[in-house]
Amino acid sequence: MKHVLYFLILFAFGAVSCSKVDNLAAPSCTITGSTIDEGTGNTLQTEIGGGGTRVKLLETSYDSAPVPLYFQSMQDGTFNNTKVFAATYKVSVEGPFVPLVRTDNSGNTVSDSSQTIQLKNTATLTFKVQPFLRVEWVGDPVVNPDTTVTVKVRITRGTADPAYQQDVTDINLYVSNTKYDGNNNNDPRYSTLTSYSGSTGTALLGQTITITTKGGALAPQDTYLRVGARISAGLNQYNYTTPVSITFQH
Amino acid sequence: MKKYTIIILVFGLAALIAGPGCRKLDVPPKSIIQDQDVFGSSQGIVAYMARLYSELPIEDFRYSPQRGLNMFWIISPPPATTGEALSRDQTGSMQENSSTDWNIWSGCYTTIRDCDYFIQTIPTYAANYNADTIKRWIGEAYFVRGMTYFALVKRYGGVPLVNKVLNYKPGSPVDSLQVPRASEKATWDQVDADLTFAINNLPEAWTSDGKNGSRANKYVAAAFESRAMLYAGSTAKYNTTTLFDANHNQVCGMAASEAAGYFQKSLNAAKMLDGHYSLYLSGWSATDKNAQYQNYVNLFFDPASPENVFIREYQYPNSVHGYDAYNVPRQLIGSNGYSSEVNPTLDFVEQFDGLPKNADGTLTTLDAGGHYLLFDNTMDLFANAEPRLRGTVILPGDQFKSQSIDIRRGIYTGAVGGGISPLLPAGSRAQYPTTNLITSSTASQTAYKLPNGNLMNPAGLSGVFTGDQTCAISGFSVRKWLNPNLPTAQVLENNETQTWIEMRYAEVLLNRAEAEAELVSLGQGGADLQTDAMAVINQVRSRAGANPWTDPGTTPIDTIRKERRKELAFENKTYWDLRRWRIFSKEQNGRIYRILMPFFAANAGPNGQYFFDARTDERNDVYTYDPRWYYEQLPGNAISKSPNVIQNPGY
Repeated sequence: MKHVLYFLILFAFGAVSCSKVDNLAAPSCTITGSTIDEGTGNTLQTEIGGGGTRVKLLETSYDSAPVPLYFQSMQDGTFNNTKVFAATYKVSVEGPFVPLVRTDNSGNTVSDSSQTIQLKNTATLTFKVQPFLRVEWVGDPVVNPDTTVTVKVRITRGTADPAYQQDVTDINLYVSNTKYDGNNNNDPRYSTLTSYSGSTGTALLGQTITITTKGGALAPQDTYLRVGARISAGLNQYNYTTPVSITFQH
Repeated sequence: MKKYTIIILVFGLAALIAGPGCRKLDVPPKSIIQDQDVFGSSQGIVAYMARLYSELPIEDFRYSPQRGLNMFWIISPPPATTGEALSRDQTGSMQENSSTDWNIWSGCYTTIRDCDYFIQTIPTYAANYNADTIKRWIGEAYFVRGMTYFALVKRYGGVPLVNKVLNYKPGSPVDSLQVPRASEKATWDQVDADLTFAINNLPEAWTSDGKNGSRANKYVAAAFESRAMLYAGSTAKYNTTTLFDANHNQVCGMAASEAAGYFQKSLNAAKMLDGHYSLYLSGWSATDKNAQYQNYVNLFFDPASPENVFIREYQYPNSVHGYDAYNVPRQLIGSNGYSSEVNPTLDFVEQFDGLPKNADGTLTTLDAGGHYLLFDNTMDLFANAEPRLRGTVILPGDQFKSQSIDIRRGIYTGAVGGGISPLLPAGSRAQYPTTNLITSSTASQTAYKLPNGNLMNPAGLSGVFTGDQTCAISGFSVRKWLNPNLPTAQVLENNETQTWIEMRYAEVLLNRAEAEAELVSLGQGGADLQTDAMAVINQVRSRAGANPWTDPGTTPIDTIRKERRKELAFENKTYWDLRRWRIFSKEQNGRIYRILMPFFAANAGPNGQYFFDARTDERNDVYTYDPRWYYEQLPGNAISKSPNVIQNPGY
């Protein structure tokens, strides 16, 4: 009988320890929103993956200088993360536009348009930014008799700040068979990539630029076209047009 | 009651025995080597130094960006990331993989700790040695530490400077261990300070090892100082990425105004080697191209070469590599089944002198009428090639290990009257047409009967095969470093022991010329620097059998860079050069590298003739270097260990 009692005491200890298990509830709050070109009011086109816009979270309720958390924006400039812990966050976006947090040559913060939120359930955020370049379609793509495609675009600067008006280094027409078309994902046989040195690319700003796919007839399959352009600023990311699709009638 | 008495007695007895006994048991365990064992004798010091040298982070035969340092398996070779070559296992640009077996970040800090520990501990044993010996050893530890900081700063920018051993007592706060990243400038200055200390304290030569280059001496330290300061100057001049930490420390990037100071230091250090080392010329002849070629091949194998400044030796079975196993041409394949991992691109080959070129610098393969030029032998196209090219690359049809290296893409069976028109339109990235072409998908070939009745395999013995990329996929195979005397039975992984030359005098000359040209471009030097730069470049060119540099031209820096890329090709240097010049992302911007495919036209001439088709890589592998990669991503564990260590931009 005494032995049974000992076991019971042991079990009692066990039960108490179990209740201390560190099983914090999974993150369930949502941060959603968009990055908007303040000049046009449209969401800012970007590329998927590391070369595109991303959202930066600083959890300031935890530490005054926390390790940042990042998540990637979608290609169309919207973002949505449904697995965020409730906390206070300082939120900003990073991408091919004038940075929201700017520092001078000695590391002092000169302007900061981050937004601080106390996240409980869902926060919807809108960031208005000045893209380095604004790349816009002029008319629709034209399928030529040889089944190449010719597009027209106009590229203008999205910012009046001379610190972000470097020369245009690349203007590329990307061809892909998915809409996730961009510098990191395109068909090299048909995409027309053009690099510029000095001010030759910059001289094309404001003009209607005509670009034709290369490599002969496009394959008869769903085709998406997109034009990207960049200046040599920050991480040299591209600004893009919206993707357009073409279906061939062969 | 009796029971308790016994228990008390036992405890009392135990206390009596244990009390004095404990003190006597507090002796160093015999199974662990103590400081006294290592630092007390010069043999112990040699063992400690051997460890430091083996940890020294240099990109040798066991390095690839994919798998890091000290990893034997080199199937994603560094030249296949730079455009020097194509490899079946490397299909695009890449940054260093931060999750490798030998983590570069923590590995480097292990080495730095070993150096710090040595520098702190050896003075305690000063009575065992004479002062001069200790001074040299400390100089050696500073050399290794400077080299290790150099390996870190060229990858990450500013890193934590830990120049004293950090001691942790369990239970104490860890704040003092969480050293933040120093500024990039402070880190380069640390490299400068450590290597300068080494220059001032190391001997001109070690009596035991002489000047064979396996151990750092004064000039070895100076040579690396010239390399490190050149990297620092280029970073200051060409970098555009900046990152500040919360305390306004610039951990990425430096003021452009720092560039000139670093270039001057590079130049001064390079000049220190004047008269102590020289280019390898033992079999060289000014008039004999074949002798120049053989001399260039031999320079990588002659242990007495006066050009070897710093080397890493290997010894079977303790420390080995597999360079030949991975890189021999397919027809000399060893039994591990590897070969031809490094296939030089046509873009690389076209940089050399002595080739017929078009106005835009590309190789001439067509006649004025737009038809292929025809050759009896594939080597005819390269008849006047710069000897250094033959010493660096196995050209189709050239001799290696007494065999003609047979590289052919296929047999063209179409008509030849009026000339053969290009198989594909200029610039096309499409597959070759199948009409009139006999090709082979693997090395098991069915011979084709030529019009003259002879039999010929569709593809060469070393390729190119359409379904098996274990072959010369670019039309070329690498020659540099390949041991010409290694029997095929010995061409095995983890079996090769040829010496890695990490620093040779040719690089010191190239550092010197580049530093001089950079100083001139910054307005910090006059015509004398320009003249000296041209003179040292011409020393390298003359040895290579290349054309001399007579007109400085408008972009002398570009001329010097091109020379560097040719001379140091396949030595794992170009990867770092393209980074520090910040031109990687310009060169690899949607780039598809070019290849040269030899075809045999069966109906040309009485016995058939060859033509060459220059085209883009048939696999359409696109190289795009992300500008973020100029500063590597810090490994996650470095950041999670210390909140003071911040990540580089964009990661």
